[in-house]
Amino acid sequence: MNVSVNGCKVTLFPPMTTVRHALLTAGLFEELESGVKVYDEWGNEIGTEGALNEGAKIFVRSADS
Amino acid sequence: MRRYTMMMFILVLLAVTASLTGAEQKVITVLHVNDFHGFAEPYKPLGSDTLAGGIATLASEVGKIRAERPVLLLAAGDMIQGNNWANLFQGESVIELMNAMKFDAMVLGNHEFDFGTEILKKRISEAGFPVLGANVAGLGDLVTPYIIRELQGVRIAIIGVVTEDVPFTTHPRNVKGLTFLPVAGVVDRYVRELKGKADVIIVLSHIGFSEDRELARRVNGITAIIGGHSHTRVVDPPVVNNALIVQAWEHAKDLGELDLYMEGRKVVRAEERLIDISPAAGTGDPAVERIVEKYEKKVDALLDEPVGEALVDLDGEHVRSRETNLGDLIADIIRKTAGSDIAIIGGGSIRTSILKGIIRLRNIYAVSPFNNYIVAVRMTGRQVREALEHGVSAVEEGAGRFPQVSGLSFTYTLSAPPGSRVKEVMVAGRQLDPDRRYTVATDDFLAAGGDGYKAFGEAVRASKDYSVVGGVMKGDRLVYGNPGRWERDVIADYIRSGGKISLTAGGRIKEVSGR
Repeated sequence: MNVSVNGCKVTLFPPMTTVRHALLTAGLFEELESGVKVYDEWGNEIGTEGALNEGAKIFVRSADS
Repeated sequence: MRRYTMMMFILVLLAVTASLTGAEQKVITVLHVNDFHGFAEPYKPLGSDTLAGGIATLASEVGKIRAERPVLLLAAGDMIQGNNWANLFQGESVIELMNAMKFDAMVLGNHEFDFGTEILKKRISEAGFPVLGANVAGLGDLVTPYIIRELQGVRIAIIGVVTEDVPFTTHPRNVKGLTFLPVAGVVDRYVRELKGKADVIIVLSHIGFSEDRELARRVNGITAIIGGHSHTRVVDPPVVNNALIVQAWEHAKDLGELDLYMEGRKVVRAEERLIDISPAAGTGDPAVERIVEKYEKKVDALLDEPVGEALVDLDGEHVRSRETNLGDLIADIIRKTAGSDIAIIGGGSIRTSILKGIIRLRNIYAVSPFNNYIVAVRMTGRQVREALEHGVSAVEEGAGRFPQVSGLSFTYTLSAPPGSRVKEVMVAGRQLDPDRRYTVATDDFLAAGGDGYKAFGEAVRASKDYSVVGGVMKGDRLVYGNPGRWERDVIADYIRSGGKISLTAGGRIKEVSGR
């Protein structure tokens, strides 16, 4: 399954298809410790254990921006 | 006379309008949660210093709204599996909680299947509310496709559906004999069946927010979709094909309140608000608090349960710099569980030591606190070497990537530059063959690229389409996965079965001089 993290393509394989796995693959998971949050393409905040679907676009950014 | 007639007409018109709008307008409230995952107590989410959630506080909010008007309370799946509060009782604690909160219905989530179908059937039989699964075949009468409830004279149908991907997101044995039908076709069929029988049609879904949008686009006649699975905090819900799509985040951090404004039997407006839940929001519901505390005490008692005995100290302190007996033990358990040739785990996943003496469940949970699960990947010998190279590339920094291994031994030279430190690698008494494929067990953290490991991901990316065939996972490269069972529980079960642990490290990872 292909998803995008901050505009970069990431390939995930079941069962490893959560937001956490996408961030680990993109090397961005540790950024969460600094308080940044993850959003879907419609601007909704999503949890790290949330399931992703094919083509999902997610964004890691601070809550204020 | 004409003036009098006109006035009468206006008065009659006003009276009719008032009766249509004021007198007959009512509000139907549907409260909802999703992806609770047994997070009964408030907790600090990653990167936050503030406590959030708490099911007793959420229950108290439900109680306040119920005191004002009749409501429905729904759960959109993934309720019974997740953290220790749920897992140590295989979800029984959550069902007791939901019964006390008087849930009206719940849809099965993919993680409801993680304890296997027999346990799931037991949990469903304990539930004092209907469990929905319109697209699940094989559970007999235990699940129902939909229910119809009447609230203030309005007939509300609730159809429940779960992701078709369940067989990919749990161990195949957990869904043996079950079939998960395509969601849109099933929902369309029941929406048609419910025509004339219900005034409002709610889909209680566990398929994820983007799939909910797609479902609404494809199926006419849905009033609202109350979703789960993607853990989405939908503050500004979209309307797609006249259906409002809502979801209330995760872990009882929000309670969703969906208000349907009715004129007669027709919905004229739908509104959703999320009520943030935290200890600061107020006091908890006493009855729910008692259940939370009761199971907390049971968790404490279970964590004190002896599961085995360490005849020697098991070293979890030096796992980031050298082979240790605890690293060997855990790597062995992971390799045996996955039935693989080799296991490679990150030393950083082992958080503490176990001292000589009785091993309690608490000790194992402290050693392996993360919600990681075991996967196994088919890799070439070349990729195995790459993984080991990465593992020893930052030994000087004490990085968590340092490998603990099973099924292989290797030497490395610290004075060589990172990327060319690994020297001899032996598997089952033979030199590692760079072109041969080996099955390699690890955890999902490393496999997904955690601690900078790329080799697992590269191996999996080379896989042909992954599939489940005949209830067994088939894939070119990904050969094992059990997402519903945390590594710590696998370790605990293994130690329970063996009893006494006596292990001396040595012979698997050796630092040698030279370049």
